[in-house]
Order: sequence, then C-alpha cells, then structure tokens
Amino acid sequence: MIRLSLLCQCLLVALLLTCLGSLLHGSGIVWAMLHGNQTLPALQLQLLLQLRLPRLLVAICSGMLLSSAGAAIQARFRNPLAEPGLLGIYSGAALAAALALSLGAGILPVSLAGFAGSLLTLWLIRLLASPNGNGSRLILSGVAISALLGSLLTLLITTLPDGALRSITFWLMGSFSNAEWPQAWLLLLATPLVWLGLFRQWRLLNALQLGEATAFHLGFDIRRGAWLVVCLASIAAGVVVSSCGMIGFVGLLAPHLTRLLTGSDARRLLLAAPLLGAWLTVSADWLARSLLAPAELPVGVITSLLGAPFFLWLLRREQESPRA
Amino acid sequence: MLELEQVSLQRAGKRLLWQVSLQAVPGELCVILGPNGAGKSTLLQVMSGYLRPDSGRVRLGGQDTVGLSAARLASLRAVVEQQTTVPSGWRVSELVAAGSYFAAPGQQAAAMAQALTLTDTSRLAQRRLDSLSGGEVQRAHLARALCQLLASTQPERYLLLDEATAALDFAIADSQMAQWRQLAQDLHIGVVAVVHDLNLALRHADRVLLLQDGCSIAFGRTADIMQQARLEAIYGIRLAELISPDAGIRAFVPHTTR
Repeated sequence: MIRLSLLCQCLLVALLLTCLGSLLHGSGIVWAMLHGNQTLPALQLQLLLQLRLPRLLVAICSGMLLSSAGAAIQARFRNPLAEPGLLGIYSGAALAAALALSLGAGILPVSLAGFAGSLLTLWLIRLLASPNGNGSRLILSGVAISALLGSLLTLLITTLPDGALRSITFWLMGSFSNAEWPQAWLLLLATPLVWLGLFRQWRLLNALQLGEATAFHLGFDIRRGAWLVVCLASIAAGVVVSSCGMIGFVGLLAPHLTRLLTGSDARRLLLAAPLLGAWLTVSADWLARSLLAPAELPVGVITSLLGAPFFLWLLRREQESPRA
Repeated sequence: MLELEQVSLQRAGKRLLWQVSLQAVPGELCVILGPNGAGKSTLLQVMSGYLRPDSGRVRLGGQDTVGLSAARLASLRAVVEQQTTVPSGWRVSELVAAGSYFAAPGQQAAAMAQALTLTDTSRLAQRRLDSLSGGEVQRAHLARALCQLLASTQPERYLLLDEATAALDFAIADSQMAQWRQLAQDLHIGVVAVVHDLNLALRHADRVLLLQDGCSIAFGRTADIMQQARLEAIYGIRLAELISPDAGIRAFVPHTTR
C-alpha cells in the first residue's frame, strides 16, 4: 500500500498534466508561443474559453462524481459489481431525456428532463424498497425498474424520426461535446456537495462492509444513513447522465483501480477515487476528440472499449493472486 | 443489569420466543444453551436491540432498549455476530478501529490498544484479515467488540457473543471461553454468549439459560441448571455424565448404543 498523500499527489499531477494537454492540444497556442507570438488570436481564446474549458470542467466533474458515487455504492451494497446506475437511475434519466428530445426540446431542457427522470426513478425505488433498509431487496427492485424503463426507452426510440434518433443515440453513448458553461456550472456546484456528503459517511461505509447487522451494532442508524448514501450516489449519477449522457465503466472501474492502490478503507478510497476517475474521463475525452479528428467519437465508447477489457484483466489478476 | 422481562416474539405467524426472562450482571459469563432452532440467536438479537420484541421489555443498565438510538445502544453493548464477514483487504487494526468510530477522538487510540492487548492480537494488528486462521479472525472480531465497550463511558456495559466458538477447534474454543469469563471479571462487563457445547458451558459459565422452542426451561447458576435429566429432556437423547474426580471436571456425552 502506497502512502495516501503521495498517491493523491501523483494522481493530482497526472490529472493536471492531462487537463493541460487536453485543453491545449490542437489549439495552436503552443505553436504560437514557440514562435514567440505574444498575442493570442481572439478566435483561439474564444475556442478555449467557450468550448474547451467548460468541456474540460464537465469531464473532470463527471469523473469525480461517477467514481465517488461508485465507491460509495460498492461499499454500501458490499458488492464490487455495483455502480451508480445500479438502481435504474440511468434508464430513468435516459427515458425522460429521450421523451424530451422526441418533443423537440433543446439541449438544456433535455438535460433537465434527464435529471428529473433520475430523481423520479429514485423516488419510485424508495416506494418499492423495504422499509427496514434491506440492501438486496433494494438492488433487485432497481434491476427490475431498470429493465422496465429500458424497454420503454426502446419502445420510444422505435417511434423517433431520424434526426432525433441520431441525437438520442449520441446522448445514450455519452459525450462531452455538448458541454457548455451551464452544464459546467451545474456540475461544479454538484460535485463538492455530493462528494462532501458521501465523504462524511466514510465510517458508515466502512461499517456496512461488515454487514448491515454489524453496522447497526457498531452504532449506525442503517435506515437513514444507507438511504442517504444511495440518494447522494443516485443524484451524482443523475447529474452526470443528464448533462453528458451515459459514460460507462468509470463508476465501476475507478473505485476498483483505486482499491488496488489504497485498500478498501472508505476514507482513503473516497479521497483518491475522484482524482483517478477525473483522470480517466479527461483522458478518454481527449482520446475521443483526437483519435479520428476532426470527427469525434462518443466518450462513452472509449471508456467502455478500454474499460471492459481492462476490467476483465483486473478480475483475472485478482483471481490468480488473491493475496496480492 | 441486562434484563429481559417476559419477552415474546413472532415472525410470519411462527412463535420464536415466548415469555423469556433473564438477568445478566456485570462480571459474569451467562450462557444461552439449547438445541438448534430453540431461538438462541433470536434472543441475542432481541438483547442487542436489533430485533424489537412483540411484548415484554429489554433493559440495558435500567434503560429500555426500545427508545434508544443505535449510537446509544452501541455505548451499552457490543456484539460478535454468528457469521462475521471479512471485507477483502482489511487489516486487523482497521477492523478494531471500527469499534471506536463513536468514541471521543482522544479515547480511540487507547481503547484500540487495550482491546488488542486483551485479546492477544497486538502482533496481528498489521496483518490482513484474509490471511488469518479462523481462530485469529474470531479474536480480531472480539477485539473489535471490546474496543467498542472500552471506548464507551457508560458505567454498565455488555458483550453479546453469538456462537462465537462455532468455527473453532475444541482447545481454542475452551481457551476463548475461559478468556471471556476472565474479561467479564477484569473489566466488570456482563458477557452473554450463545454456545452449542454443553461441556464448555459447564466448565466456564456462571449462569445458564436453557431454551427450548422459544421458551425458557430453566435459568440460574450453572451447577443447579445443568442437571442430567433436564438436559436429556431438552435434547431428546440419553446422556452419560462423566466425572474426573482428580481434575474436578464433569462432562456430558451422548449415551447411545452403536
């Protein structure tokens, strides 16, 4: 196990460097500076401030939100396969957003509809889950809701005209290309709040890993605390999915990777995972933008394309050396 | 005093406990004995406040558990559960620290150190739980529960153990029970343990509660309660009592012809 502060510093440096690279890559600024041009063309500055910067901020924030929500959800349900979208939050958001798109709404209303959809799903699950805070029933309700909403979404998509179909597909695959300042501000506001809310629960999250009964015996009000964790994680998933679509695997992969470095203590995990998650999304976005430039790939494709094989390798490695 | 008064509990139309009463006092080891399905673990969960009885009262140091918050309960009693889960990658020190999450910051380190010393797990503190033997894991969980009690400022505290010897070989189980009794005396805490082994109870318990089909058959001093005829009736088999006069040890074994 590496010392936590050292690890966080390393991650922070990696994140900053990647951010800088992603921000400046192809913008002509480095070129201009190398040639001693003191004044930046106004167009370049415009590009940086109006497109690149909000996009970068959205990527950072969604990485942080998804990975801290994933870490918390995995600890709460004692399930390494859990992720923020586990309870059908993604499906609910996607359905609501698709509905808004099919009605011809613009980007911002679609985002708002998506967020409202995720909150509605959360409320629905709250109604269905057992009152005593039983985790497995909560998961199963979520899976059923997710399947139901998913099929409704498919139904809706078959009726969409071509134009709307293209934009909903792009949205479903996840992309930062629509990111503008409004989304960036929303995420900048949500990220510290959600993270702080989750981080304050690190003791509960540790205790829950020992089982729900043990957590109660250790003095935690499971019903309230565990629901708070689920709510915060779902809100994080809802905010991200409604502003940039479904970005697969980050919420699953980042906590896993971090756990390899920090162990499963929730406090260490919640400190390091957001940095790693942000680094993942920023790198993925950079790749998505530059691989086939000037064409752009959906960032969700990159995260899943690279994340899935890597995750499989990780599983194999854990199986081979359980004591590693 | 930990006091159960006429506690009854039903679940899904099935009677799990029926008017069970018990008093456990600090400084003593009280053992709950009975056949499988008698309701021993359920009774312990009622004591810990995890299950709420349908009727009857549970008092911890004079306070009714029904109105108490989880945090308040945790300062009065600690529990070692029957199936203790081991999160991957945790170290013994992290597990024991979980016992002191609610303690005042100044007391945490002292409570942890004392709990590790008392359970003889200090040298395991930096080991990973999944690299330990069953007996060592059990001791680590005991240390976690003790840490919770040591960090508490309550005058009366109780340690509840649910089949905590089930996975241990008989030598370790025996030394564990001797240790619980010692801890009860040294720390002046009440220890209540669900145990399956008649002879371990006979050797170490101060008081015994015999439970059958959710009903209390007898409760009192170990020597008074553990009578051959009564045990035969509860377990439904014939027993033979073996006595080793020079060691002063009694034991019951099944008396069946093969």
